[in-house]
Amino acid sequence: MSTTPVTPQPPQPKTNRIGLQILDYRGGKTTLCAGCGHNAISERITEAFYEMGVQPERVMKMSGIGCSSKSPAYFMSRSFSFNSVHGRMPSVATGALLANKTMRSIGISGDGDTASIGMGQFVHLMRRNLPMIYIIEDNGVYGLTKGQFSATADIGSKLKSGVINDLPAIDTCALAIQMGATFVGRSFSGDKKQLSAMLKAAIAHKGTVMLDVISPCVTFNDHEGSTKSYKFMQGHEEPVAEVGFVSNFEDIAVEYDHDTTVDVQLHDGSHLRLRKLHEDYDPTDKARAMNLLMEAHANEEVLTGVFYVNTQKPDFTEMLNMVDEPLATLSPERVRPSREVLAEIMAEHG
Amino acid sequence: MSQSFAVGIGGAAGQGVATPGDIFAKIFSRRGLHLNAYNAYQSIIRGGHTFLTVRTGPQKISNTGDHLDLLIPLNQDTMDRHLRLLTAGGACLYNADLIQPGAPAAGVQLCPMPVSNMADITRNKVGQNTLAIGAALSMMGVGFPALESVLVEQFRKKEQAVIDENVSLARAGYDYATQNFKPFAWALPMTEARYAVLSGNAAMAMGGAAAGVKFYSAYPMSPATGVLHWMAAHARKAEIMVRQVEDEIGVVTMAIGAAHAGVRAMCATSGGGFALMSEGMGLSAQAEIPIVVIDCQRAGPSTGVPTKTEQGDLWQMLGAGFGDYPKVIAAPLDIADCFKLIPEIFNITDRFQCPGIVLCDLLLSEGRLSVDPKELDFAPVIDRGEMITSNGSGDHEPYKRYKITESGVSPRAIPGLPGYTHVVSSDEHDEDGVLISDEYTNAGKRRAMMEKRMRKVDGIAASVPPPELYGPANADVTLIGWGSTYGVIEEACELLREAGISANYLIVRWLVPLHGDAIVDMLRDARHTIIVENNFSGQFARYLRSETSFVPDGNIRKYDGEPFAPHHIVEAVKEQLAGKTKLSVPVHEIMV
Repeated sequence: MSTTPVTPQPPQPKTNRIGLQILDYRGGKTTLCAGCGHNAISERITEAFYEMGVQPERVMKMSGIGCSSKSPAYFMSRSFSFNSVHGRMPSVATGALLANKTMRSIGISGDGDTASIGMGQFVHLMRRNLPMIYIIEDNGVYGLTKGQFSATADIGSKLKSGVINDLPAIDTCALAIQMGATFVGRSFSGDKKQLSAMLKAAIAHKGTVMLDVISPCVTFNDHEGSTKSYKFMQGHEEPVAEVGFVSNFEDIAVEYDHDTTVDVQLHDGSHLRLRKLHEDYDPTDKARAMNLLMEAHANEEVLTGVFYVNTQKPDFTEMLNMVDEPLATLSPERVRPSREVLAEIMAEHG
Repeated sequence: MSQSFAVGIGGAAGQGVATPGDIFAKIFSRRGLHLNAYNAYQSIIRGGHTFLTVRTGPQKISNTGDHLDLLIPLNQDTMDRHLRLLTAGGACLYNADLIQPGAPAAGVQLCPMPVSNMADITRNKVGQNTLAIGAALSMMGVGFPALESVLVEQFRKKEQAVIDENVSLARAGYDYATQNFKPFAWALPMTEARYAVLSGNAAMAMGGAAAGVKFYSAYPMSPATGVLHWMAAHARKAEIMVRQVEDEIGVVTMAIGAAHAGVRAMCATSGGGFALMSEGMGLSAQAEIPIVVIDCQRAGPSTGVPTKTEQGDLWQMLGAGFGDYPKVIAAPLDIADCFKLIPEIFNITDRFQCPGIVLCDLLLSEGRLSVDPKELDFAPVIDRGEMITSNGSGDHEPYKRYKITESGVSPRAIPGLPGYTHVVSSDEHDEDGVLISDEYTNAGKRRAMMEKRMRKVDGIAASVPPPELYGPANADVTLIGWGSTYGVIEEACELLREAGISANYLIVRWLVPLHGDAIVDMLRDARHTIIVENNFSGQFARYLRSETSFVPDGNIRKYDGEPFAPHHIVEAVKEQLAGKTKLSVPVHEIMV
């Protein structure tokens, strides 16, 4: 390789550790409303996958139906995408990852897609601890059908039409923790720093990551009386910890205060650094995490941050003790049982 | 008519009807005999009434027949209900301490066993069953060692004392019968053949393994649970990922996810579970991801009669999901066909990237049949269709997952293949998978995609053969059936011929696409046509009429939960040929 360029080169575009540019992680142009929280989340996802240097072709983007579920079209066009049916993304993703456990997956859902029509599938996905990132873009309303309350809308919150929500909200984070997800947090589409750190840590984690991201709907739920508006979130967001992330290819020796900061080593060697902002905060203790969330409901606070992380529990593909090679790419001669196995099977029916 | 011998064993659930049934089945199959077995039971764990019929003989046994040669009632109820099934030459073996005999038909031998004098069975609640098995085999002319070896095997997981006790009970029964009862006139023959004994559910699961299925998902539901049991028991050995899922919505969409990633995926359910799968059928069709769903029909609607058979799901299958889409529906004709059909339907669903439905029913799913292992091809052709598995040199036109082609089939690539990134969606989409529901309504694109998908229908039709007409030409009557009634219609036709009525029959296996023109051609010269089916409204008759305008001369329908017996069809044909009725609904004489 020549070391002395003959002609001056134009400045090289910035690339990540696998030599790709941010452009390689971009998606199509959004068709969502200007100012929609979902667009900011798509931006953060694009950046996180770029910064972590994930090969886009190794990623399956999964979604259900709704505004949120359209958003995989707006990031990472070089990844494989599956827009499934309303509320069914968890099972589709489970099937796909079991058939090819070498792929990565990020699923984008909404509060309707998860907490109402997809609730049955959602809780069972959390139980499996399937290695995927599951994001709820949570705005408390159904956008595509013009603004009905969803099951994450807070009791007492008001629709544009003046209708008051008379049922309590489902806390998807509390459910995810109880059901067995191993990385659970809540963020706000407007909190760029926190969301970025959480997404990067999510990529480094192996197991189900469930992030409920409050993502205001500018068209149907951004008014006075809404508890999912930009204004409400700016006034009520209560981070339980300051989320820091140090990737496995960065200098790990960054100083931190051991008394106030919880350091969690993630599966790929990256570190999650959580500087406590709340005195009862302990992200490694399931019961305390639940307690924190329950108290926040009573105090009408919107807690954000990583509530629970468990790096010890085996993920679903490890638990199932699967064959090493992905089932989806077995050679034709290996897709059916061997002669010996068949002989054994037939002997049972003699 | 070839010779056969039918044994009936009945008792309350929990009285141990299954074990004698297994023992008889093993002994028959080891003598190189064919058999066909069916268990009538109810949806309870204890009590109720269970009645197992095992019919055997040297030739293929297509159904469990009209009568019994041997009845073993384990309780009074069974004696009272089933004694009338014995015909001249038959025998009834029973515990004389507990059961009062009824009045049998002429020529039936009552064989009371003084059980308390024969053995001490106070601590063995199924002891009377073993005594009866021993006695029965003596009367059938089977040597005791054959029974002893099967008993040793049957109880191999128990301690030696249990084996010894059962062998000695069987011996006591055997010897008592030799001394006191008249042997059957027809001693059980022996042949060199060796058959495997399979349930339809096991056969479909094994057919799946042979087809290269790598992913199986299910929610337990009678009568489909047997497929799940087989799959779970053999998952590790056969390297098949088997998942029990939270509901049938998840079952089918999980299978679709797995198929999307590249494996052959299958699931099984019954009518109620299938109702939840309708959404997934549409997804499979729209996303063009092939899956195979087995529906083991039971008597509906709703929870219906969970342990009883019916052919009542045809219209649910025809109408599953909304919108028009290509699909394949096939009904296996017997238990061996349950095996054979699975690789065949997978090749079609893979080639045409659409959902496939195997329309089975409880009669086949839970029935058992002797199958010549040579009939089971464990290495059938696997045709995955147009699938891109490598990116070759890397140079190719930009990949379009839903490329518009003449055949309607767009080459498929699986996730992970660089250069073949694509979007799969349930929304209507363009050739590249991008949603067109987001754009201004593009009528041209929508029409082109709709026509592309529906063009596959012609290709599918060309890939499945038309049905066949069996039996003599110019018959007095032509019976038309589909799926599981094949066996009983076949025997009914033989019985009709013996009664001087020539009969032939047409059995439909591929329901969608239906070769309507071929069927109409075959039936054009038929003298009297009758459609036979196990449902109330004549679902197949209505379907055939809607596709071809063909109307049969008569119908025979049964919807009481029990399968047809040959005489039901024979008698109905006779009354219809005599002009008495155009619709016969045979009465099931015995309540089981």
